[in-house]
Amino acid sequence: MSDYQQYLNERDKLDFFIQKGFRIHAVHEHLDGASVEFYHPASKERETLIIGTANARKYFSSLLIKQNLGIK
Amino acid sequence: MADLSINLAGIKSPNPFWLASAPPTNSGYQVQRAFEAGWGGAVWKTLGDPILNVSSRFAAISFNGQRVAGFNNIELITDRPLDVNLKEIYETKKRFPNHAIIASLMMEPKQEKWHELVKRVEDVGVDGLELNFGCPHGMAERGMGSASGQVPALVERQTHWVKEVAKTPVIVKLTPNITDITATAEAACNGGADAISMINTINSLMGVDLDTWNTIPHVAGKGAHGGYCGPAVKPIALNMVAECARHANINIPISGIGGISNWQDAVEFMLMGATGVQICTAAMHHGFRIVEDMIEGLSHYLDGKGIKSVSEIIGKSVQKYSDWGNLDLNYNIVAKINTDVCINCNKCHIACEDTSHQCIDRLTDKNGKPYLKVREEDCVGCNLCSIVCPVDGAIDMVEVPYELPPMTWNERQSALSLAAECKIDSHK
Repeated sequence: MSDYQQYLNERDKLDFFIQKGFRIHAVHEHLDGASVEFYHPASKERETLIIGTANARKYFSSLLIKQNLGIK
Repeated sequence: MADLSINLAGIKSPNPFWLASAPPTNSGYQVQRAFEAGWGGAVWKTLGDPILNVSSRFAAISFNGQRVAGFNNIELITDRPLDVNLKEIYETKKRFPNHAIIASLMMEPKQEKWHELVKRVEDVGVDGLELNFGCPHGMAERGMGSASGQVPALVERQTHWVKEVAKTPVIVKLTPNITDITATAEAACNGGADAISMINTINSLMGVDLDTWNTIPHVAGKGAHGGYCGPAVKPIALNMVAECARHANINIPISGIGGISNWQDAVEFMLMGATGVQICTAAMHHGFRIVEDMIEGLSHYLDGKGIKSVSEIIGKSVQKYSDWGNLDLNYNIVAKINTDVCINCNKCHIACEDTSHQCIDRLTDKNGKPYLKVREEDCVGCNLCSIVCPVDGAIDMVEVPYELPPMTWNERQSALSLAAECKIDSHK
């Protein structure tokens, strides 16, 4: 799989949780990329995604900044 | 025609092109020839206790047919008595009162010795002084030149000693043979310098002869490191000028030096904060009359942009130079190959496939004609293909519309640290 395809896959997963109403709760960066922890304010559910591609790590960072700014 | 005159810390010259302190400014005969050719100023070859030189002093690197891409010297400061130099400076200044003559000085780090030299030199009417804390060879072995210039405390102290007696502006010339040139630049400021100049030459060994195994150059079979300059060092010098220009605690004029070979180079240095430039290697390669092209080119450039004075461009690009952490991670460019210009040499494909991101495909059209195409989604915009492409206009790097808002590394890290500290209210 190309880097681009892998990025699209990871981006889709990130979007999936955001569209379901999850919010990024924490990010842990490590040698394999980053673990993005999601938290759903209503259901109290927690989910974690491992994000490896550089573009997807940029992508969730942009989502996080939007979230911090209160932008939907 | 635009006004090309500059005023660097009170030193006025009719244009920003000065000869740097070096072999071209060794004598009154040479400096007067240079002024006749049009140079706006000259920094006299460094004065101090007259030295002894060796024979076989210069060497150069030619690269892919370009002669003198880099230049190296192991010549020391002036070997002529001070009174001879001073007499010629006096005569030259008398003949060219509107041109800038700056005396480059080097002395062992003793207050009284600096005082004596400064007083004697200023008595003949120089427009300014440049303290040579940069020469990396020979003199450095005796505690002078870059040996002094690599120690911020010594730069500050010696600058202060000179300022105790100097009546003309004092420029401190800095060595690039140091990890962070802003440290010594700041020391010069603290010592009271009126301006700084950079860069002096870089430690270098030009080569080793494969037959004799002698160094290049060698002196009776032995070599020593020299000072490297010329076009090859320009990017290093330009960065150092820019780093000083954008530094919050360095607020004195800069005289830019290092590989400046034409008017375009001079404009780049001035845009990055230099008030004027000093040139040596290009003059040694092509003679003093290259300044005619520099003056003409600079004039046309300024006129074409409707700029009335060259001073207006000083520092105009400094704010565009920053830390990596302030660059936008979401800005994207991709390569586009113009098949009507491309000669299908495949250099871009090979470069990308072997050493970059494998995003240039070799394809064949319906008529069996080969062509190259970039898979834009996989292109990271590294520029390598356009760098190695031998045909102008065959590859363009084009901006991609933003998919995400601008975001710098520093902004990203701030957002992530908020998350790590659980300051984000994700429970809303």
